[in-house]
Amino acid sequence: MIQKAKELLLNPWFQLALSVLFVTTSEVFLKRGAVEAPRLPEQVNWTGVSGLASLNVWYGILFVIASFVSWLYVLRFIPLTIAFPLSNFVHVLIPLASWFCLDEIISTQRWCGIALVLIGVLIVAKPVARMEEKL
Amino acid sequence: MTPFSALLIFVALVLFVVAQLFLKHAMESDLRNPRFTRFFGAGLATMTASFFITLGLLQDFDLSYLYPFQGLSVVIISILAAIILREKLTPRLFLGAALISGGVVLVSLS
Repeated sequence: MIQKAKELLLNPWFQLALSVLFVTTSEVFLKRGAVEAPRLPEQVNWTGVSGLASLNVWYGILFVIASFVSWLYVLRFIPLTIAFPLSNFVHVLIPLASWFCLDEIISTQRWCGIALVLIGVLIVAKPVARMEEKL
Repeated sequence: MTPFSALLIFVALVLFVVAQLFLKHAMESDLRNPRFTRFFGAGLATMTASFFITLGLLQDFDLSYLYPFQGLSVVIISILAAIILREKLTPRLFLGAALISGGVVLVSLS
């Protein structure tokens, strides 16, 4: 059991999936934190540092770090031309999370864009999945 | 969107792309090699700068509107990885990357 869990954790494809989930979670926390953070004068507000006053931003940062660690592991084993397009599954998950957790409105055009991203990810993922099956 | 916001989105995107290339370079090296430290440090610095600029932008824009701009990085990174890192970029991979970027642009325009 422990051996299987270890094998799973060391699997770069599993780490890629984890990285995507962590990025989605971090973005939701960061958006919540950014909205509740105090606004600084216009000249410095663009730096985003006032966000550090929000606990949600810190939760977001923790998930950013977790996704970053997973991503570094992925980079060691999977070519960037495959790993990076696949990691863009976040563009499907983040709008869904924004709609579900932040009550943001997703227009029909936006849904179409999300569908296109999904098709692109599937096109990249299919030969990789076949390659994995052969292994 | 003001021209300054557009510039910040562009700068955040460029920094993000450069960071990915630095980090991939770093992770292909031995962890004790000075090359790793150099590229990892550069990747971390550019990634951090991109992160804070994005955080500032999040105060003014919806997450579902702002984040997809980074999707443009798919095609850019795929091409640069093929040129700089000499990775194999098949027509199928490029088509997938282009569709992802196209989808992201569609999302951004809505």
